[in-house]
Amino acid sequence: MAIDQTVLRKELRQFVTDSFLIGDDQVVFADADSFMKNGIIDSTGVLELTAHLEEKYNVTPTDDEMLPANLDSIDNLVNFIQRKLSGATAS
Amino acid sequence: MKIHDLLIHTAQAFPDRVAVSHEDRRITFASLNSASDRLAEHLRHLPVTPGDRAGILFENSIEYVLIFFAALKAGLVAVPLDTSLGADSLGKILADCDARLFFAQMKFRRKLPELLKESHSIRTVISDRHVSTGRDDLRAVPLDSILGDSSRYSESHLPGEELPPVRISPLDLSDASGSGSPHDLAAVFYTSGSTGAGKGVMLSHRNLVSNSIGTVQYLRLTPNDSVLVILPFYYIYGNSLLLTHVACGGRLVIDNRFLYPEVILDTMEQEKVTGFSGVPSNFLILLGNSTFATRKLEHLRYFTQAGGAMAPETIRRLISVFGHKQIFIMYGQTEAAPRVTWLPPERLNEKVGSIGIAVPGVTIEVFDDDDHSVPVGETGEIVVSGPNVMMGYWNQPTENAEVLRNGKLHTGDLAKQDADGYIWVVGRKKEIIKSGGNRVSAKEIEECLLANELILEACVVGVPDNILGEAIRAVIVVKNGMGSSTKEIQSYCKKHLADFKVPKQIVFVSELPKYQSGKVNKPLLKTEEFRAPAHKQTL
Repeated sequence: MAIDQTVLRKELRQFVTDSFLIGDDQVVFADADSFMKNGIIDSTGVLELTAHLEEKYNVTPTDDEMLPANLDSIDNLVNFIQRKLSGATAS
Repeated sequence: MKIHDLLIHTAQAFPDRVAVSHEDRRITFASLNSASDRLAEHLRHLPVTPGDRAGILFENSIEYVLIFFAALKAGLVAVPLDTSLGADSLGKILADCDARLFFAQMKFRRKLPELLKESHSIRTVISDRHVSTGRDDLRAVPLDSILGDSSRYSESHLPGEELPPVRISPLDLSDASGSGSPHDLAAVFYTSGSTGAGKGVMLSHRNLVSNSIGTVQYLRLTPNDSVLVILPFYYIYGNSLLLTHVACGGRLVIDNRFLYPEVILDTMEQEKVTGFSGVPSNFLILLGNSTFATRKLEHLRYFTQAGGAMAPETIRRLISVFGHKQIFIMYGQTEAAPRVTWLPPERLNEKVGSIGIAVPGVTIEVFDDDDHSVPVGETGEIVVSGPNVMMGYWNQPTENAEVLRNGKLHTGDLAKQDADGYIWVVGRKKEIIKSGGNRVSAKEIEECLLANELILEACVVGVPDNILGEAIRAVIVVKNGMGSSTKEIQSYCKKHLADFKVPKQIVFVSELPKYQSGKVNKPLLKTEEFRAPAHKQTL
């Protein structure tokens, strides 16, 4: 299943804003910005995020895929989801 | 001796050794000492007087360490703040302790306007960058503008370089630098509270220094040790890692990414740490959801575990994987600054489930309700005395009178002492569930549940019940890919426990609600939110 990258970015940004910033649109973050370093997501948030990936995109990170390189920014999430959906091995 | 004397002594003894590593940044003891001197000098010129409280809202970082020591050097009282709290709770703590100075990391800038609105006592805000306080009368001063060149951290003794073994010189508790007394209040640590600001535990310099030295002794820490710090410094266990390693000249390796366990394991290997300290949930996650068990961790000498009882089953799993490392099971309380007992690793196999013996400098007794010692093998309350016992709770005279009697700390933990003098906790005085006239230990049921191979985490609480007085509620996280039902769990409990101990309510959740420290938020588990609805009974 392929998802349009622009749509995916928009959906993920909306999820992060609604779930972790509680709709605070004052907070500006770029697609490459780290969620951890910018205080957007904490450890509970990562669990919420992975549950969302599973529910919405049917993408389940394995233990060794639970890495910032896969989950810690909009860019990383987009790449990770697309790799998983295409059946390629994620980093 | 005061807390910052630990840093001054170590900076003189080992000036070029790395005190703190955080990702690609490092600072030596000499640089840490001089930078904290410079910041302390700046603080002395602010509208604050010795004894005033300084809130610190920084995650673990070189800056946190520097600020903590600078505040103490300036005679202020450090109030480390839980960074996971919301603006409302933080504002209540700052108001409760009447903080005059506030150190706030830019990362938490979103919380500032709301929390500062209620904290009228704050006169100055210092941040790591330019931030808006949301108040026209309050400007945030950037740390860099105060520290200047000293904020450029020097590098020396990179990890992996062999250091000659050096013995720690005996520290004289009476030797204190500058003005003030070791008996002065040094820090207020707020404990997890389900409502309001919680309780502020007042710890003196003497409380923290004496306990740090005792801990260095039983862990046999040397300047060649380095610990991976995943526990926040605002949590007393994290603070203990900070002070013990500054005291012994060891290295603190900070990594705030425990949400990604593989990253933490990589850091342990890359930085060649000799120690790892965690709470039970850290070990459960590492053992259950990571490649921990397959890692060699060649340089690791020891693990320490505190922050609540770890189930014997989990301890045995840790032993089965890393039995060749030293595993220190420890017990403590914020009110005891914090270490009270340790279980010598060589006795662990025969004493799994015990919290061990008193740490050097601490005395333990097991008392009945009339404050008399109970005989060996009988249950009583753990009572602690020694230089580590807190000064009291901030502005809580009623609580102080209840907990501190005859200068001894009544911990509220129920335990038995065996013939060898080892202590075995059987539950909390206030966490004994009274169900149908029976006294039931939540801990005993939790241990039984955790021995079930389907269960990853379990927490048991008592909830009001019209018939039983209190009903037993078990909140359970099952392992990935596993399924279970209320009936299965209850049948399992029936096989291993007396009937009256079988939980009436079984609630399946994907994770237990926890404080940032890793401890389970038990008050929340008692609320309606966690009542077992019919549709949640099977997962």
